[in-house]
Parts: sequence; structure tokens; C-alpha cells
Amino acid sequence: MRRRLILSVLAGLAATSVLAAMPRAHADFKAGNVRGRVQQPAVTPHGEYRPSVTDLGQPLHTPIDRSRAVVYIDAAPRQAFDALPAGRVRLDQHNQTFEPHLLAITVGTTVDFPNDDPMFHNVLSLARGNSFDLGRYPRGQSRSVRFDTPGIVPVVCDIHAHMSAYILVFSHPFFVITDEVGRYAIPNIPSGTYTLKVWSELGAADAKRITITDGTTLDVDFQVVRR
Amino acid sequence: MRPVLVCVLLLLPVPAAAQLPDHPISNDNGTATLGAEVSGSLSRRDNAGFFNYTDYDNDALRMARLRLTGEWRPHAQLSFLSELRAGTNSNVELAALFARWRPVARWNFDVQAGRVPPVIGAFARRAYGRDNPLVGIPLAYQYLTSLRPDALPATVDDLLRMRARGWRPSYPIGANTDTPGLALVSAFHWDTGVEAHWSNDRVDLAAALTRGAPARPVIKETNHGLQWSGRAAVMFPAGFTAGVSGARGQWIDQSALDARPIAAGVSTTQTVVGTDASFERGHWIVRAEAMHVTFGLPVANEPSFTKPLAADTGFVESRYRFLSRWQVAARAEWLTFSDVQGTLFGGAATPWDAPVRRLEGTAGFRVTRTIELRGGYQYNWRDGGRVRKLGFPTLQFLYWF
Repeated sequence: MRRRLILSVLAGLAATSVLAAMPRAHADFKAGNVRGRVQQPAVTPHGEYRPSVTDLGQPLHTPIDRSRAVVYIDAAPRQAFDALPAGRVRLDQHNQTFEPHLLAITVGTTVDFPNDDPMFHNVLSLARGNSFDLGRYPRGQSRSVRFDTPGIVPVVCDIHAHMSAYILVFSHPFFVITDEVGRYAIPNIPSGTYTLKVWSELGAADAKRITITDGTTLDVDFQVVRR
Repeated sequence: MRPVLVCVLLLLPVPAAAQLPDHPISNDNGTATLGAEVSGSLSRRDNAGFFNYTDYDNDALRMARLRLTGEWRPHAQLSFLSELRAGTNSNVELAALFARWRPVARWNFDVQAGRVPPVIGAFARRAYGRDNPLVGIPLAYQYLTSLRPDALPATVDDLLRMRARGWRPSYPIGANTDTPGLALVSAFHWDTGVEAHWSNDRVDLAAALTRGAPARPVIKETNHGLQWSGRAAVMFPAGFTAGVSGARGQWIDQSALDARPIAAGVSTTQTVVGTDASFERGHWIVRAEAMHVTFGLPVANEPSFTKPLAADTGFVESRYRFLSRWQVAARAEWLTFSDVQGTLFGGAATPWDAPVRRLEGTAGFRVTRTIELRGGYQYNWRDGGRVRKLGFPTLQFLYWF
């Protein structure tokens, strides 16, 4: 028992010294870039409206941007975790939609959910590790959640079932949301071999194995197909 | 099919929840949408008190139900909506079929025509699944009184004999078939006609002209009568909403009226005056409704009465959510009836139906956003009938998309 304890302490000290010897910021490393385009299935900007049979009038139909995807590397080197740009971002509730519809953040980031609508909203997620229920609150008020667990967080309004958004929480900074035509670029990835992946609510794309070398820029395109 | 078996079958998909859709199914351009709700409730059998039986000939605490809802929006300002419903002891029914038209895109003003949702009260538009925080249905919308639209008492004593027998009341005039009585307001059968609705951030107004009565919505004309109904509500910034509503319509079938000529001026209308309120804030919801309902009932022979039969009902319910997935809810409610005087009960003034009180509590767990399990207990007290009080443990499974 005592011997096992001593070995554990020695192993811990060894690991600590190795980590301490590594550079503090990934920018100090040899790094390259990856860029490309994500081709998404054609999508119309409609929300997920349940048939409003029990309503006395037409609910608000607001177009939403579901055409964006997130490109990210699956596992990052140790030094990538040293200087995470955790901060504070907003996910507005406006015209019975979440704006933006897709957020990508690093762990430790706090997301504010202000309500700009004249009616109450109830922001909710049952995602494993990131579940929360902000309760009902009116226009002009905001609630916030700090995300400490990596994962995909589907966000909905418990009152208005057609309101949805996605928050992708990463434990490293090597991810990006595509622009309106699907282009993306991830800069300053430390040299090495990685798996590059795409997340899209519209479908799935094959992951790609990439090797980053110092000062180079790789072009990698994806094709998302409906699940 | 036995309710237990139905519930077991309904529960089978739970382990495969990941494969179940959790959002409505729609075509590529979003103009056609299909939603569904599956629910199964389980409780002890009640073959004596019939506290939770509905005009669908089933027990609200022991039933399985499937609702398929569809919407087709060929134009941004025009949509067609429908609902197909199937459940224990009931055939597949087209429960809703109507057109919704918004004449001016920027106005929150809509006109709906067809078999349309009711405008009075608040519960009737959130009677299903996840919108109802408890397993049971409020007495006002579910409890079967001893009145029938197709059969009439000849005397007050005929009426008094049917106290607490709303499950199967029978009368000497009109139909002699076995059918259930009427709830004060039907939440599950919708009326046919046209309605208009306007709202802004603070006010919500709705009015309807349909062909049935609050307790007796119809598709086919049964008595040449019309129902008007309306509701006005004010939404306060703090999360408080208050509404008043009213309705008036002919509730007795012409076939029953024809069976015995009635004197001119005798009312055959049902009138509902109600108020509803809700407070929704944080993880709390508190709601309340109260209604005063009258039924004009022609009674041909002595002993008789001149005033319409009246009933008063109301409920207060509350729901609290915690830990994202859990909720607890409770409801307290009452239903009372005005007095009539016959030769029964020693000639004393007696409520024309037996008053009922009910308490219910439920705890719920959300397995996923669209799958919910609930368990609870409901207790009923009644001042009449063979069974005066009865409790029901309740279980419910809900799935919707």
C-alpha cells in the first residue's frame, strides 16, 4: 500500500515536470492552417414549427439560418488547452428565434440569454453535462449559463417548441463556424496529424485525416449529406 | 385493447428514444408539417364512481391516445390545419379541420373557419400532453353531469334520481339509448363555425360563432341553434395574465325538444361566464379558472322549476420545475350545482347533481425533451352517488414531436 502511494506521487511529479517543460501558448509552436468549404444540403430557412392546431391565430414564423456548420479538429495537442479564449457571448431571443442559431465556444465561456421579445421565454437544454433550465423571464431580462463540459448543447425554449439553437462547447480553440457560403479557415494549428471533422444539424460529413506542417495551409472540403 | 397493454406498448419505444423524432416532420420547403403526440395513462379501474370518465366513453386516467396534427401553409397568410385522434374506446376521429387566414400580414389578426378550437376559458386549448401539468383533466372539462342533450327529464324528480350518475343518465323523454352525460364545457370535441382572433403585446381578443354549445360541440346541426363565444385577456408585464370569457348556445337536440312540446319562452340555452388567470415566472406556473354555467331545461310536468340549472366550478393548479428534468404539480378543484326542489329527499332543496371536489398531485420526469413520465395521486369527494370518495394512483407516459 505504502509502495503504491510512493509510486503514485513519483508519477504525479514526473507528469507535472513534463507539462511544465512544455511551452505555454500554442502560438509559440510551429503551426499551419487549414481552410476549405463545407457543402451543405439545400435548406430552406424555416423553423421546426409544430402544427399549431390549438392556437387561435398564426404563430410568428421567422426565418432562421440553418446553413452553417462547425469545422473542428477532433483532438488537440496538450498546449492547445493552455490559453483558452473563454469569455462571454450572447445568444439573443428575438422574434421567437435564437440569434445566432449556432454558437461555438470554448469551455469556461459564459453565454448570456437576453430576452428581446414581448413574451416570456424559457431557455432550456437537457444535454448531458450541460443541462440547464433558466425558467420563464420577460423582455429586458437575461439569464446566463457557464459551460464547463465539452459537447453539443441543443438549446430550446420550453414555451415555444419551434425555437432552437445549438451551442458547441470545445476544450480547445481549433474550431470555426462556416460563413454564409460554407467557407471556413482555422489558423495556427500546431504541427501534427489530426482528424478534421464537421458538425452540421442538417447531416453528416466524413471526417478527414490531415497533417499540418509549419507555415503551410491545407485546403480541405467537406460534403454534408442528410442523415 | 386493455389500457395496461396499450401503455406497455407505448412504453416500448423509450429505450430507443434516440431513434424517435424529436421535432416535427416537414417537407423541404417547410409548407407541410406533421406533428404527433402519444400518451398513455394508467390507474385503478373505476367501475362504480366513474369520477374520471369522459364523453368519449373512456376513463381519463386509464387510456391511450394518439394525436396526429398536420398543417399545410400554401401561402404565408393561409394555412389549413387538422388533427386525427384515436384512443381507447374511440374510433379514429377528425377532431379538427379548419382554415386559418391572416388578411393583413403585419396585423396579428386571424380568421379561422371549420372545426375550430374553443375560445372560452384557457384549459381547453392546452388540454393535451405536455401542456397539462397533471394527469387528470379539470372537472369543468371532464366530469360528466347528469344532463343529456338528447333526453330530458319529465319532472324534477327524474333529474334528482340521476344525481351522480352522469356516466349513464337516462330520462323518459327523448332518446332511450345508453350514452354519457355532458361535461360543463367540452375540451375534446370541437365546435364547427368561424372565429376571429386579434392580439398584441398586452391584449388578446377572440370571438367565435359556431353551431353547437359549450357542452355540446357538433359537426352536424342538431337544433338549428348558434353559439357565440368570446374571450378577452390582458397580459401584464410581470407574467400575469387575466381573462374573461363567455358563451351562449342551444344545447338540447331538436329531437328531444320535439318529443315533448315545450312552452314558449322556456330557455333551452347553455350560458357560460368564466374567468381565468395565470402567473408564469421562473420555474413556477400558477393557473386558475372559474366558471358559472347555466342550462335552460324545460321540465314539462310538476314538480318543475323555472330558473335555469346552474353549476359553479373552478380550479387552481401549480407546477414547479427543478433540476431541468423534474417537475411537481398539484391541482385543487370544485364543482357545485344549484338547488332544485322535488318530492325526493324529503322535498328539501337539493343540488340537481352531486357536488364534487378533487385534489391531485403529480411528479414528472423528462427522459428527453419530448418524452415525459409522470406519477401521482388523485382523490375525489362527492356528495352523492354509490361511491362518495375514491382515490386513484396515476401513471402517465407522454411522447410528442
